[in-house]
Amino acid sequence: MNFSSKLIEEAVSAFASLPGIGKKTALRLVLHLMSQEREITDQFAEALTQMRHNIKTCQRCHNLSDDVLCNICRDPRREPHTLCVVEGVRDIMAIEETAQYRGTYHILGGVISPIEGIGTADLNIDSLIQRIAEDQIKEIIMAISPTIEGDTTIFFLSKKLADQEVKISTIARGVSFGGELEYADELTLGRSIVARVPYRAKGE
Amino acid sequence: MRLLTLKLTQFKNYTSQGLQLAPRINCFVGKNGMGKTNLLDAIYYLCMCKSQQSLSDAHLTLHGEAFFRLEGHFYKNQKRYRIVAKVQARKRKVIECNDVAYPKLIDHIGLLPVVMIVPDDTRLATEGSEDRRRFLNNTLSQLDPRYLRDLVQYNRLLKQRNAALKQMGAERRFDAALLATYDEQLLAPATYLHQQRAAFQTQLVPALQAHYAAISGGQEQVSCTYRSALSESNLADLLVAAREKDRILQRTTVGIHRDDLLFQIGEYPLKKYASQGQLKSFVLALKLAQYAILRGEKKESPLLLLDDIFDKLDPSRVRQLIELLIEQEFGQVFITDTDEHRLASILNQFTVDYRKFRVAQGQIIDAAPDEKAQ
Ligand SMILES: [Zn+2]
Repeated sequence: MNFSSKLIEEAVSAFASLPGIGKKTALRLVLHLMSQEREITDQFAEALTQMRHNIKTCQRCHNLSDDVLCNICRDPRREPHTLCVVEGVRDIMAIEETAQYRGTYHILGGVISPIEGIGTADLNIDSLIQRIAEDQIKEIIMAISPTIEGDTTIFFLSKKLADQEVKISTIARGVSFGGELEYADELTLGRSIVARVPYRAKGE
Repeated sequence: MRLLTLKLTQFKNYTSQGLQLAPRINCFVGKNGMGKTNLLDAIYYLCMCKSQQSLSDAHLTLHGEAFFRLEGHFYKNQKRYRIVAKVQARKRKVIECNDVAYPKLIDHIGLLPVVMIVPDDTRLATEGSEDRRRFLNNTLSQLDPRYLRDLVQYNRLLKQRNAALKQMGAERRFDAALLATYDEQLLAPATYLHQQRAAFQTQLVPALQAHYAAISGGQEQVSCTYRSALSESNLADLLVAAREKDRILQRTTVGIHRDDLLFQIGEYPLKKYASQGQLKSFVLALKLAQYAILRGEKKESPLLLLDDIFDKLDPSRVRQLIELLIEQEFGQVFITDTDEHRLASILNQFTVDYRKFRVAQGQIIDAAPDEKAQ
């Protein structure tokens, strides 16, 4: 693409560096901003800068948050003794969309996969175990991808929690299409959380 | 079961080529390096979702191109199956059956049973145990979807466990709880794979002996024994006993990934005591036994792909093999040879229709009308 302006060219390549956005779309977005009031672009840039500089990680559940604790952890109407363990932020969003779950969350930050350099120490496992005692957690729902690595993670956690007074359940496996929770449609995901089953390790 | 038509696009040295295949015997003739074997590999790919030669998909694509495509129309139990493989660089490969893509490639394995016999098969007798495990896995995966599923699971867990051992070694710590997790997860697939391999060996021995006798005409008795640590003890105990060793070597030293098949002639190990001729007969008998077991279990004649065996076997063995193929009602057969007259002169000794394709420079230059032998 040939640009008459270096400034336009830089703005276009900034947009084009985002996933799923090609050069053509990027140019359309830039020209759209150009056609509007200058303040609109200022607000747009300001929103991104504010977000990037001020976003925090919730100290309790590791969700993205504006404060020390996230909206969900601060909400007094949430059932505080039920905990849903997920891999990442998008899983929380998918489950919240279903409006079927009223407990709190804990983000692990992934699943155990030494092939990809993710060992048990790289996940939020210690803080999970600490929380169970501190927050008097009675039930843990494992909402982890139905993959071999997901199985390893659930299995490992259930061993770590074996001597705690806590009930462990899993959402119906195979519910997620494509292997990740975020792809599951809201109805099946919501239903599978309601119809969760007690976790039993293989061979038991 | 048979293959009706085959179409290759940018596969190996073929730019674009379509073929109409004969129901019984198809011969691909031409000089070496012209692309005869590539036709067999294309057929194998449509059945097994990968190359027989363990080549990566990038190496299967015509040089300088970004994708290849294979299409085969199969006929089985009065049903047509249109199988298409679309393989593109840096994209997930797609295998479609009647226009529907498989969510998982392993779901396709076993639909179209296939056996490919290549000169390199002697490796089964002469090389390490990996080739023999691949032979076991290839056969059992086509017979039993659960076998393949458990094998994929076992291999993935093993890879994770080995990576965990490496990571622990590098970080100078030992996470016994994580290893115990992998050990327990490995147990179920390992036990199933072991059972299936042991059961397969009891089927394999008589089939091997019958085919060896038919090919070699010799009196010597051949046999094969399945050897696995899991025959002696269960995997849980074995892994616990090997844990210190695993920690030091940073890999899993015991399990069904160490299994082997021991081949014998008379009372002795095949590799040490067999003549070159006996060794070739043994390996050929092994592959024909594989074919016979697949046919028996699937109630269906697998496709048989014979690559260049005429260069490696003496003419009397070749004649015996062709006789076996024709008289024992093998299904559809695909044969490559560098010498079209040699092949024709043998085929003409039997009453069988065959179709001959002359191959040169990645093209079928001439598909002769079916030849009727007298
Ligand atoms: Zn929180």
